[in-house]
Amino acid sequence: MGGSALAEYAIETEDLVKVYREGGIRAVDGLNLRVKRGEIYALIGANGSGKSTAVNMITGALAPSSGKVRVLGMEMPRDRHAVSANIGVAPQEYSLYSDLTVEQNVRFFARLYGMGKEDFEERFVEVTRVLRLEGRRDTVVSNLSGGMRRRASIACSLIHNPSLVFFDEATVGIDPVLRAFFWQYFRGLSAGGLTIVLTSHVMDEAGKADRIGLLRAGKLIDEGEPQGLMAKHNAASIEEVFIKLSEKEISDE
Amino acid sequence: MSRQRVRGFSFSRTTAVTLRVLTQISRDRRTLGMMVVMPGVIMLIFGFALGGQVSNVPVLVDNQDAGYSATAGTASAGLHAGSAVLSALEANGNVKVTVGNFSAGRSGVDSGEYSAAILIPSNFSQELLLRSTGLNATASLQVYVDGTNPSVDAAVLSALQTSVQSASGASGFRIDQQYAFGGVKFSGLEVSLPAVTAFVLTFLVLLISLLTLAREGTSGTLPRLYTTPLTALERLLGYTLALLFLAIMMVAVILVVGVGLFGVIVRGSIVLLFSAAVLYAFAHVLLAIFLSNFAKNELQAVQMAPLIALPSMALGGMLVPVTSLPSWIQPVSRIVPLYYGNRLFQGIMLKGYGIGQLTTEFLVVGAMAVLFFILALSTVKDRMDA
Repeated sequence: MGGSALAEYAIETEDLVKVYREGGIRAVDGLNLRVKRGEIYALIGANGSGKSTAVNMITGALAPSSGKVRVLGMEMPRDRHAVSANIGVAPQEYSLYSDLTVEQNVRFFARLYGMGKEDFEERFVEVTRVLRLEGRRDTVVSNLSGGMRRRASIACSLIHNPSLVFFDEATVGIDPVLRAFFWQYFRGLSAGGLTIVLTSHVMDEAGKADRIGLLRAGKLIDEGEPQGLMAKHNAASIEEVFIKLSEKEISDE
Repeated sequence: MSRQRVRGFSFSRTTAVTLRVLTQISRDRRTLGMMVVMPGVIMLIFGFALGGQVSNVPVLVDNQDAGYSATAGTASAGLHAGSAVLSALEANGNVKVTVGNFSAGRSGVDSGEYSAAILIPSNFSQELLLRSTGLNATASLQVYVDGTNPSVDAAVLSALQTSVQSASGASGFRIDQQYAFGGVKFSGLEVSLPAVTAFVLTFLVLLISLLTLAREGTSGTLPRLYTTPLTALERLLGYTLALLFLAIMMVAVILVVGVGLFGVIVRGSIVLLFSAAVLYAFAHVLLAIFLSNFAKNELQAVQMAPLIALPSMALGGMLVPVTSLPSWIQPVSRIVPLYYGNRLFQGIMLKGYGIGQLTTEFLVVGAMAVLFFILALSTVKDRMDA
């Protein structure tokens, strides 16, 4: 494993490009992304702006067409196997085995990450407590509500104590009270040194992140701290920032 | 946070997949029911429905008939009934004649090379002629026939009867029939059980395996698995172990239903039969894993099972013996797994063969399993479609 544990960035991409073979769509078009260790980074953009494609290339689930990706100081996709043990991914779809219970799902992923039984028990209690899933341990996933499934999916991505997690549209379809709770939890994890990358098409959601990257047509159109971005574009919300940037791009074309 | 290290291959990750798949199946009553009920039902239906006209049954004919000529005054009569019967048999579509030595023919029947051996004795013409003059003589033919398949048995005898009649015009001959394999004539179910076993295993193992594999694809969990340390090989092996376990269960159900419920006699070793069935099922598990790499959803996966199983049924010797198929299609049968499954199960169940007589079949099925595994491994995806 060639990675340095002291690498400043959890993620670095260099001119990352993805052209899908079908239809020749340039989903990601020269993305240069830098996510610092321990920060909460929100990648935002409309549906189809290339967020999920970018995340899939960074996590190793999708091969890039060109460009470079370094994750936790390791080269992707070369060190993909080594990287995979240290990252957690909660995809946009729930990506759970709906005929299994919450515990069976989480235990399955824990075993893939090489966790022992005792470690699992301890960690499972902790993760389900913070995700408020304690009473659902033996509930079959198909009997859970959407929000519960989302949390079960997040539990699978956190069970092995990763150093970097990806939450793809993690807070979509979750009621405001729970969403506030999620953010509180993300803050706690981040304070503990975990790097969190989340994607959202709900712009104001991202206002709570440390830094925001605005993605449009597979390109980063601006990046910065939420307050800084709003000040820079003289906008009252992140949504307004995004609209202003989009209008500027359209008039520039 | 501690960095976790991963090894190249992990048995624990492999069995994690196996246990997960088995847990999922255990919750799926529909699939479980299909595994337990279908083998029995299919066996019953086929057991009584199978049979029919066959052609090109391989027989060996040993014509020792010396011919006979008798002179009475100025009139003389000569008869070569044996060669007439032989040419009539050769012209008969039911059978495919090889001329040879009767004892070699008998061992050919025992080894499965021939379905029957026919001996035309040296005094056949003489006896026929004597009979036709009203003398008390017995013109008899000896037939050593494989009774494990009634339709083959019937085809040989009918060919022989019509041939002798057309050759000599005589009706006073006798056919001495002897059955191979301990002289047992089997019931319809017993005779069809080996083929049905092979078919049920082909169909159900493919279907259940493909369904189970398709579930992973439709649950949306694959992209997530791609981001974990689970390698494609581990995933494949994990599935293989789980599906092999299910296949063994199906084999057990079939044997329990067949032997326990319908009282089918297995002349060979049950252990060998079980091993053969498990090996055969294993090859199909691997075939399913290979095929599932090309199925995008459950519907496509389900369509693949009959697509393989139905032609196998026709080509593998289940409906009619392979020797009755057109000669140009017979080489195709040799690459159909069911052909070997059929031979394995027939050999062990009906003929009491041991492993020594079935080495080729075991090796071919084993080689097919290896081939399917290599094909599966070389086509398995370890990333999302680009």
